[in-house]
Amino acid sequence: MDKKTVATIAYLSRLSLNEKNEDKITDDLENIIKFVDQLNAAETDNIEPLASPLEKTAKTRPDKITAENRKEIFLERSPKSNEDYFLVPRVVE
Amino acid sequence: MSIQFKTIKQLGKMLNNKEISHVELIQETFSLIKKNNHLNAFVTLNEQESLKKAEILDKSPSSSSLAGIPIAQKDLFCTKDLRTTCGSNMLSNFIPPYSATVIENLENAGCISVGKTNMDEFAMGSSNETSFYGNVQNPWGLNLVPGGSSGGSAAAVAAGIVPAASGTDTGGSIRQPASLCGITGLKPTYGRISRWGMIAFASSLDQAGPMARTAEDCALLLNEMCSHDEKDTTSLDEKIPDFTKNINSSIEGLKIGLVKEFDLSKLDTDVVKVFEESKKHYESLGAKFVEVSLPNISLSVPTYYVVAPAECSSNLSRFDGVKFGKRCENPKDLEELYIKTRSEGFGDEVKRRILIGSYVLSAGFYDAYYKKAQQVRRLIKNDFDSAFKNVDVIMSPTTRGAAFEAGSKGDDPIQMYLEDLFTIPANLAGLPAMSIPNGMIEKKPIGLQLIGNFLDESTLLRAAHNYQITTDWHLKTPEVMS
Amino acid sequence: MSWETVIGLEIHVQLSTSSKLFSGGSTAFGAEPNTHVDLIDLGLPGVLPVANRGAFHKAIRFGLATNSIINQTSTFDRKNYFYPDLPKGYQITQMALPIVGKGFIKIEVDGQEKIINITRAHLEEDAGKSIHDLFDGETGVDLNRAGTPLLEIVSEPEISNAKEAVAYFKAIRQIVTFLDICDGNMAQGSMRCDVNVSVKKSGETKLGTRAEIKNINSFKFIEKAINYEIDRQIKILESGDSVVQETRLYDSIKNETRSMRSKEEANDYRYFPCPDLLPVVISDDELKEIRDNLPELPDEKEKRYVEESKLDYSEAKIIASSKTMANMFEEACAKTKDSKLIANWLVGDISALLNKDNIDLEESKLTSNNFAMLIERISDKTISGKIAKSVLEEVWETGDDVDKIIESKGLVQIQDESLLETIAQNIIDNNPSQVEAYRGGKDKLFGFFVGQVMKETQGKANPQSVNEILKKLLS
Repeated sequence: MDKKTVATIAYLSRLSLNEKNEDKITDDLENIIKFVDQLNAAETDNIEPLASPLEKTAKTRPDKITAENRKEIFLERSPKSNEDYFLVPRVVE
Repeated sequence: MSIQFKTIKQLGKMLNNKEISHVELIQETFSLIKKNNHLNAFVTLNEQESLKKAEILDKSPSSSSLAGIPIAQKDLFCTKDLRTTCGSNMLSNFIPPYSATVIENLENAGCISVGKTNMDEFAMGSSNETSFYGNVQNPWGLNLVPGGSSGGSAAAVAAGIVPAASGTDTGGSIRQPASLCGITGLKPTYGRISRWGMIAFASSLDQAGPMARTAEDCALLLNEMCSHDEKDTTSLDEKIPDFTKNINSSIEGLKIGLVKEFDLSKLDTDVVKVFEESKKHYESLGAKFVEVSLPNISLSVPTYYVVAPAECSSNLSRFDGVKFGKRCENPKDLEELYIKTRSEGFGDEVKRRILIGSYVLSAGFYDAYYKKAQQVRRLIKNDFDSAFKNVDVIMSPTTRGAAFEAGSKGDDPIQMYLEDLFTIPANLAGLPAMSIPNGMIEKKPIGLQLIGNFLDESTLLRAAHNYQITTDWHLKTPEVMS
Repeated sequence: MSWETVIGLEIHVQLSTSSKLFSGGSTAFGAEPNTHVDLIDLGLPGVLPVANRGAFHKAIRFGLATNSIINQTSTFDRKNYFYPDLPKGYQITQMALPIVGKGFIKIEVDGQEKIINITRAHLEEDAGKSIHDLFDGETGVDLNRAGTPLLEIVSEPEISNAKEAVAYFKAIRQIVTFLDICDGNMAQGSMRCDVNVSVKKSGETKLGTRAEIKNINSFKFIEKAINYEIDRQIKILESGDSVVQETRLYDSIKNETRSMRSKEEANDYRYFPCPDLLPVVISDDELKEIRDNLPELPDEKEKRYVEESKLDYSEAKIIASSKTMANMFEEACAKTKDSKLIANWLVGDISALLNKDNIDLEESKLTSNNFAMLIERISDKTISGKIAKSVLEEVWETGDDVDKIIESKGLVQIQDESLLETIAQNIIDNNPSQVEAYRGGKDKLFGFFVGQVMKETQGKANPQSVNEILKKLLS
């Protein structure tokens, strides 16, 4: 778990590490990964990964409009918006 | 007549016999809350609304067994127009525009949600030491942790402030605090209770459940909490039984499994002693003990610490300062908006788990970690399926010991993770499990865990209830403000 | 040095369901911002997705029409990245097991047929829209589109040039509109395309490094973008440098592609199965029902028009190539059985008007109803063919009702034989020298008399009646 890997993952997760916590977090991550490396001992050839503890298939919904317009309350309770849009700092493509 | 430490059943009787009015009940509840402020069990109180509901019930009484019963709701459930923080700074100003299905179910049954309880941030923790809103105090001793992540709910019930609280359990977050606080807590089969409105931590592991003073009360609550919800396609549509029915039936011949691989000799002698006593007691009630083998069980904790962080790293991506929750001050660009908002909004444990999660899902590591963990998860589930061919329930201690001091687990996260050694397997397999008080160690309570087969909460409740009508561990109460 | 181009297209088709892929929010285009946003679309904490079965049915139609494998059990995965119009911070898509597997379609370029294989087609949710230019220093986010179902159709890298790419895109558009799974409205963004382009030396088996040009939504731009990119890559390779694998955007004003900000490359999407969605299973019965009710595709329509409506092959091909025109043809035929007449108008006057204005039929003001009415009025002789042409032009400009136009302009054809006889007789009486000349053998003068009657009746006289009457009176 080198500094570069930690920096990449931190960026992917949009989290910043500063000099104060960078070392501790790197250590913690290293220890946790070492801890979970125990899994390598398990014999898992041909074992189907378990995505959900339920052995069932999805229920779906019919194609119908059921939502109401809740624009006002959504925008009102957002961190920054005008009367029509959520606002973020200008994005340059 | 004091309401403190009363069960739902007892309070129901008091209300029916008009020994106390609904309004008086709620007023006394809030008085208890305030007197016990130092426990820091609550984040947000709902006094006005609660009194209004009580007034209505006094005018037009309801015959429901839960009518007017005060309940504390873990702050992980969205409550319409009432602040919901998930123990985090990120949601310190979040007012949901809707309520969780389980909240609606309980309120429709007549429960009055008196407030939102403190918890480990985003349900990540086993001691309620990671909340942005401060630690929760275990009512059983100064500076003791109540367990986590449902620490606030456990403390509120243990202190007798409310007869019941809702909790959630992803790796033991109902059972472990129940054990450390001396109360009864149940995590049902995965899918029994709708996850609509439950702020997601690890979607394939999270389940809501009741925390109360008795198994009987848990059964009453479970009846109302469970529902098939079209809005949650992982919610079961199996018929929901009346969980209070047959709770009194005998457990003569009940086959109880003891897990070979849970090497109890490694635990403190006190803990082993308490466990052995419980064993003897069950034998006296007619139960038979059988050894079962769950060969992959020792890999439960590492499996959990791959799967849960992976899912949470994705579930928590929605907290970006754009649509709800906190935003950092004056971000100069989009990158700063994301990075600063999230770094300021999340605590260290949450950040650790997000980072681990991103790591195990990242290109090059997916097969070695995430896929591998999901395969081991299937092995663990298969082990349980085999074991349950020969036994009705599996029994173990809930925790390695009684409540520990805040700050005593030091800086090593793994030490904290090992607290969930006994509880995690049931989440991985999606099985129902509960914890009931079964002893005291140095004046601190400790719990007994029962794990049931898929959909078999009824057997768990019957085994727990039979124990409770013949013992008094669950009747012990801490010294708190009254 | 001779170069070969290898192109693959990823086409995003917005499925024409009423509601979104995972919520009951409306997918209707053009609404006020943030008014079609459900709790689920907003990605609020605690919400959960529920899959729209209608979206699956539409995806399956596509698979059936393209000879594809249908995966009756399919699953959903999460694609994780941060962007303001992606509310959850991940997109729900189908990576591991998509609803539609391998298939193929035929395209035609310069008379040559070619088969293009399809790798897969999967369901995924669309993101919202980021509006960059309206607010000073800020970007506005509209989540109306967030959650709209998309079918992402991925071709094998078997397309060799820009013309083939356009033909393939057009063919896919034709299929999805005929199947009624997408309205094909490029201007509204109903279909968008990402193009992967690489070049290699002729005969070389190893593929060159490819660049991806994102989000093109017009046929013209696809062709231009590809041609620019091919030139760009060849220039790079000829100078000895290597092509960088990257994402590029097409600038239609400058007619060039340029590199997107490189952060895209740092994106590891960390795909994993979505734990909130269990596998979706389509039963054999369901599949059969979809198959049995599959809308007719152009080939089938062409055949049917030739066999049943007795159209020429060339007429049938033109009419069958556009869903709107095919509908118009079929609706008019249901009301007026004269399929030849209907075909003539579509292939003739109407096609000419479309060419003149450079628009598609669905962009015109001509509705199916109105067209059918026009044909009916010709058929029942209310108006003559010539008058009909002017009515059509009026309709084309204004979109007004055919009957209203006929009435307000008094264009009803004069059929009254006795009235026409009177008028004709008048003209004959007033033009004795022409009558004599005609009767003397100048046959061409017949046209003069016809013209005079028409002038007298402002063109409204029934031409056949006029001919018959004049023949009778002049003999």
